[in-house]
Amino acid sequence: MALTSEQNAYCAWLASAGLPPGKLRYLLDIFHDPASCYQAFQQNSVDFSEILSPRFRILLERNADSEKLMNFIRIMKNNEIQAFHYNDDLYPGRLKQIPDPPAILFYQGTISSLENRVIAVVGSRAASYSGQKATRKLTRELSSHHISIISGLATGIDTCAHTGCLDGGSPTIAVMGCGLDMVYPAVNTALRDQIIIQGGLLLSEYPPGEKPTGWHFPVRNRIITGLADALIMMEAKIRSGSMTSVQHALEQGKDIFVYPGDPSSEYYEGNHQLLREGGIYFTSAEDILEDLHWLDNPSPVGQNSDCSACGITMTPEASAVINALKPGILGFEKLSSVSGLEPSKLMGTLTVLQINGIIEVMPGKQYQLKR
Amino acid sequence: MEDIMSKTLSFGVDGVNGYPVHVEVFSMNGIPAIDIIGLPDTSVRESKNRIHAAIINSGKSIIPKRITVNLAPADIKKEGPSFDLPIAVGVMISMGQIAPNPEQDLTHTAFFGELSLDGCVQPINGALPMVICAKENGIHEVILPEKNAREVSCIQGIRILPVNHLKQVVDYCEGTVKIPPQEQISYEKLKCETVTTVDMSMIKGQKGARRAIEVAAAGGHNMLMVGVPGSGKTMLARCIPSILPPMSFEESLETTRIHSISGKLSPDSGLMVIRPFRSPHHNASVSSLVGGGQNAQPGEVSLANNGVLFLDELPEFPRASLEALRQPLEDGFVNVTRVRKQMRYQSSFMLIAAMNPCPCGFFGSTRRTCRCTPQEIRKYLDRISGPLLDRIDLQIEVDSVPVNEINDSGVSESSAAVAARVRKARNIQLERYFGTGKHCNAQLTNADVQRYCTPDDEATRLLNAAVETLHLSMRAYQRILKVARTIADLEGNSHINSGHIAEAIQYRELDQKYWR
Repeated sequence: MALTSEQNAYCAWLASAGLPPGKLRYLLDIFHDPASCYQAFQQNSVDFSEILSPRFRILLERNADSEKLMNFIRIMKNNEIQAFHYNDDLYPGRLKQIPDPPAILFYQGTISSLENRVIAVVGSRAASYSGQKATRKLTRELSSHHISIISGLATGIDTCAHTGCLDGGSPTIAVMGCGLDMVYPAVNTALRDQIIIQGGLLLSEYPPGEKPTGWHFPVRNRIITGLADALIMMEAKIRSGSMTSVQHALEQGKDIFVYPGDPSSEYYEGNHQLLREGGIYFTSAEDILEDLHWLDNPSPVGQNSDCSACGITMTPEASAVINALKPGILGFEKLSSVSGLEPSKLMGTLTVLQINGIIEVMPGKQYQLKR
Repeated sequence: MEDIMSKTLSFGVDGVNGYPVHVEVFSMNGIPAIDIIGLPDTSVRESKNRIHAAIINSGKSIIPKRITVNLAPADIKKEGPSFDLPIAVGVMISMGQIAPNPEQDLTHTAFFGELSLDGCVQPINGALPMVICAKENGIHEVILPEKNAREVSCIQGIRILPVNHLKQVVDYCEGTVKIPPQEQISYEKLKCETVTTVDMSMIKGQKGARRAIEVAAAGGHNMLMVGVPGSGKTMLARCIPSILPPMSFEESLETTRIHSISGKLSPDSGLMVIRPFRSPHHNASVSSLVGGGQNAQPGEVSLANNGVLFLDELPEFPRASLEALRQPLEDGFVNVTRVRKQMRYQSSFMLIAAMNPCPCGFFGSTRRTCRCTPQEIRKYLDRISGPLLDRIDLQIEVDSVPVNEINDSGVSESSAAVAARVRKARNIQLERYFGTGKHCNAQLTNADVQRYCTPDDEATRLLNAAVETLHLSMRAYQRILKVARTIADLEGNSHINSGHIAEAIQYRELDQKYWR
């Protein structure tokens, strides 16, 4: 059951004190919910010196300010941020099974999207183009099998994972490393809105107002893997931050799928190390579904698989281009000579095919049939 | 000895226009010296040393007298060594070293030229505007350096007498020798004589890019080429002057004037027949690009007048330089304002820019992997401001041609064949915009686009679908219509159909989603 705005604010109050998750869970064990904890603390009805060491008590005392509470109510109302805590019905069961689960979580969007089958997709922020493309394709396919993708809303692979999932039609979940009222990363503001619109969820362990500090991100990775049934590592160098996700997944006992990128590329060094250490090899969405025994799933959400469904009339030029592209990727020049079309005609045909989603254009004037 | 006064006529240059300068020399008794007055700059003041040696080396001598040289009008600053020759002639006349033949009427003769110490007459900058001004002032003949003669040989109605030594001038004034006048060379003849050095047939493969520059040339559109290093962007740009319609006589005069005053004409060259191609390096300063300096000199945009301004490595240009291009791109001229001078230079040019797709240069290359992060690529692309991009109608990607295709791609079409199609399209445009002051599609404003570029129903549907699926901006929408107009003109079609629109959409590569 969703909390009232005041209860939300008590959650934010407790989370903003700066206590480690373990201590917060301990307080919730005693008081059951943040509201009663606040009451007890304000009214001095419980002797906190017996519960908390002086260090943590000071943190709580510093945070005790009724103005702050009002502020939280306002911010959370304006940004439609809600919260739930460890003893709440909303708290996802599988998160309780990980080491050091978060005591309080804040969210925007549709909480029920956590009930889907969820796969975490992680990878480098400075990802290669091929890695980004593969991510988008894979997540689109998984999404069309009603699988939600959870990731971290960072640039690079994370962004591709979310957009791919949105393209496939399933809701996607993003776990952030800062307060949900913060705009970070700024480039993904539009994506964030889209996630909410398409019934997805934004989650954070950090209360509103918390800045995106560097150490937040590896810590929030445990929530990404904790909420997922399996982890897919798309692209990482040896010393990538994404490797902490793999550590978390190992501790939590999740399956780790590793995308086998180009072995000669430095972008995939981490992937190949993981494969040597026993990561699960896969090449397609089907491989993952099979390994997770999810193949019984209903048929995928209809994606443009058939050209006749797109409602365009096949001109001879269009079929010439499609036939030329059947063997694989071609550049403009090659396409022109294989299809036998004049450049001006070819450009026009490409536009029509592109608009109708039959071909895909890649940087460097490379064209490919969409599958 | 008596005091004698002499007057000779010369011309100076202010901006791109000439103005008459009367060189008055007065010699009197006194401490021997030559004074030059009338706001001379250093190079004019130094001319007294040059003429001294040159007069002696032409077989005459300097009589020790007090000589005052006045360059009238006295309130305009005189620059450059072109006054050497009239001063030398004036000095010799006033000292009685030259006895002008009474039959030689020198009052309608203008002189200009730089002297070297041995008496040779050296070429000068700005001969063309000076001669044009001389003609307008009713001057019958000009005596000028031999190396400048071809430059002005197209001007009719004035006698051009080329000389290469001061001795010739002395003899001419005394009436003992005739100087053979420079033969008139008509602009049409000059056109036939000139051969272009680059030709479209030298480009192998690159069919897409060839088509794009044809469209750009046909509509006078500015173009941006994005491509990996070595993909032939510079070569493609160099070919553009060869497919543009040839310059008219007026255009040629306008452009040659600017090159003449900047000293960019090679000696013995006539009027410029081939459209200029300027490619300033990206460390160019703002004033070298748009004009400036102490004397408000024309910059690269004016040197590229009626031609092509090619900016390679566009993002490497300083922001200020690129933003300064906005006025000349919009108006076709630049106002250069300095403390002492205000100049307006013509600068209507086609902007052709080239850039790498990312800092390392290999984003999207099929041959090498790109090492750049998405942020780096975004930052790199963002160095080009929206307003500048707004003035560039065509944006295309150029991929390098593999070696094996260079060898087997056969003979490419020559510039002449492309130029013929371009000229046809331009004629259609001239006819359509007759009386509106515009002459090509690139100059259309948004209101004009509404009026002249109306696609048919099917084309409109296609364009709307493209805006939706390819996430094109309103800005792109206008550009696509403009370019589609040009494509239709190339085809000789008065209506814009879906084929034209579909092709035009391909020239908006930077608007494609994957860049952003």
